Amino acid sequence: MSSATHIPPTDAATSLHAAQAARARQVRRTRLFLLAPALGIIGIFGLFPLSIALVYSLLEPGTYGGVEWVFSFDAYVQFLFERDIFDDTLAFNSAYLQIFGRSFGLAITTMIGTLMLGFPVAYFIAARPPEQRNFWLFAITLPFWTNLLIRTYSMLLIVRDEGFVNLMLMKIGIISEPLEMLYTDGAVLAGLIYSYLPFMILPIYASLEKFDFSLLEAGHDLYASRTQVFRHIIVPITRPGIIAGCVLVLIPALGAYITPELLGGGKKLMIGNLIALQFGSGRNWPFGAAAALILMAVVLIALLVSLRAGAPKEGGHG
Amino acid sequence: MIDVKHVTKRFGEGQTAVTALGDISLAIPEGSFFTLLGPSGCGKTTLLRLIAGFELPTEGEIALDGDSIGHLAPNNRPVNTVFQSYALFPHMSVARNVGFGLEMLKRPKAEIEATIHEMLELVQLGEFASRRVDQLSGGQQQRVALARALAPRPKVLLLDEPLSALDLKLRKGMQSELKRLQNETGITFVFVTHDQGEALAMSDQIAVMSAGAVRQVGTPEEIYTAPQSRFVADFIGDTNIVNATLLGFDGDKAKIRFGEGTPLTVQTASTSLTPGAVHVALRPETIDVVDEGSDRALLRGAVVDSTYFGAGSQMLVRLDDGVDVHVQVATSRAIGARVGLECDTSMLHVLED
Ligand SMILES: Nc1ncnc2c1ncn2[C@@H]1O[C@H](COP(=O)(O)OP(=O)(O)OP(=O)(O)O)[C@@H](O)[C@H]1O
Ligand SMILES: [Mg+2]
Repeated sequence: MSSATHIPPTDAATSLHAAQAARARQVRRTRLFLLAPALGIIGIFGLFPLSIALVYSLLEPGTYGGVEWVFSFDAYVQFLFERDIFDDTLAFNSAYLQIFGRSFGLAITTMIGTLMLGFPVAYFIAARPPEQRNFWLFAITLPFWTNLLIRTYSMLLIVRDEGFVNLMLMKIGIISEPLEMLYTDGAVLAGLIYSYLPFMILPIYASLEKFDFSLLEAGHDLYASRTQVFRHIIVPITRPGIIAGCVLVLIPALGAYITPELLGGGKKLMIGNLIALQFGSGRNWPFGAAAALILMAVVLIALLVSLRAGAPKEGGHG
Repeated sequence: MIDVKHVTKRFGEGQTAVTALGDISLAIPEGSFFTLLGPSGCGKTTLLRLIAGFELPTEGEIALDGDSIGHLAPNNRPVNTVFQSYALFPHMSVARNVGFGLEMLKRPKAEIEATIHEMLELVQLGEFASRRVDQLSGGQQQRVALARALAPRPKVLLLDEPLSALDLKLRKGMQSELKRLQNETGITFVFVTHDQGEALAMSDQIAVMSAGAVRQVGTPEEIYTAPQSRFVADFIGDTNIVNATLLGFDGDKAKIRFGEGTPLTVQTASTSLTPGAVHVALRPETIDVVDEGSDRALLRGAVVDSTYFGAGSQMLVRLDDGVDVHVQVATSRAIGARVGLECDTSMLHVLED
């Protein structure tokens, strides 16, 4: 019967429709309600201070710290140029760029170092029987239980001239004079790698935990050598974990403060120390704020570029 | 030709060691569809993994076309596997999965493309080439696994219960598809299953295994009609196993009798059995139901159950010594009725234990 398809919507049908719409509204409201606290915290403690930093970076420094409410672009100019005290001309100054350069160098080396050291560890844990994995994860996170400051101090005691390493080496007779290890880039790098290793291991472990190890056998079965299995199967599948680990290490390592302060002895400045210095004895808040914002901009751009490059390609052949 | 020579595989050491395979020997003919059949845990997967090279035998060796392959890593053996869990690469398209083996063998790109195309046509997945594998149904994934393992044209294809996850209809379809593929390619298939119907329908030869040992090797017909042991008879189809007394041998035949009945001359799995109590296999379809008093009756008992299945009925008869026997009949008798069972004595078969 063709007339059956032309039944007008009944009252029951319209009220059902209305009820459905009301339900959808409520779901949306609940979602917003649950998100509100996190959004509030990010707003108050994230965006708000960031705005202050932006405003401060565009003001003049006060004589005893703080800011003068006079608009000025000087903080950004100072980053690249030195203003002559007498004739006010600008001369290119690479000192701050060098600090940025060294910071990036150290942070990227830290990232590579933690990746090389962390991947095998994460793989090892993921390959353990499930009941043993928690023990190893516990062992990895154990250092977090102690304050970073204390851990860095103990590293200082180990690598200083009269420290454990030098005493041991001299006792064995490999060296007669203590090696100067403290206050070098090497000491800072070692400290950074040590501090950030867990941030590399954990995300890689998380992506390996779901890894189906029978894929390795499938790879070998299809004539792939060990290296080829690693390149064509393990790395692509764990790529999200590798990227997450790299981001989690690179960004905090760039802004590291305690490690370069203690192990670099303030001689080997990193961006974090430079910024801290401006708000402390440097008494140049606008410059500190500007340096912080420049760092953030560079990191954001680098991140966007690398994420785009690292995004999994759509699965077409060839 | 795969030669499995006195292979033993033990997992673990000392007290906790598990013997998965105990001194087994098999000759798998080239180009045949060879099935390993046996209950769960009997060592089928272990044997496949030894042939593929994922495990090494504790003792013994495996040879392919006369040469031992013990020293070859899995990636150097001309053997491919269709894994029970498929193990498809989730980050690759269907086409790249299928081409992976050839890619690793560094074949020319054009050849790889052509083979991918050919293989996907073969498993009827042509239009799915650029899909991600996680966007496929279970049956489709299984066919991708098959195409991936076939693409490098291995000498031997190992299939570990590849149909177990499929529904009955798809399974029947895949059974004939596999059989067709094997015929067309001439590749030696070593197929694992614990479904005896599947084994009988597809195989050129079947090896029935239990507890790490090979119990019998033969064509489906030999395995079905002439099981050697109680285990094989039990495992293949719904054979009845009844008690009899072995009186002696007459050439390669055995002389037996049921209860106090007349002596019969029947086939036997072995002529080295000791006279006395033995078990005899009796196929349901070879049995006729007669009156209890009939002198053609070899066995006697009472009907305890009867199931109608359309083309006839399946009756369960409890013999006087308590053994249950399945019988297929055109018209069933009332439950409780006393009946006699007659059968073609040439179809009787004395079993080893
Ligand atoms: N890696 C291993 N370590 C210890 N024991 C194992 C290992 N692999 C298999 N086994 C044991 O070896 C025996 C045979 O296992 P196998 O996997 O070969 O059985 P299967 O015939 O394939 O069974 P199923 O039909 O259930 O797949 C089992 O008892 C099993 O517990
Ligand atoms: Mg198995």
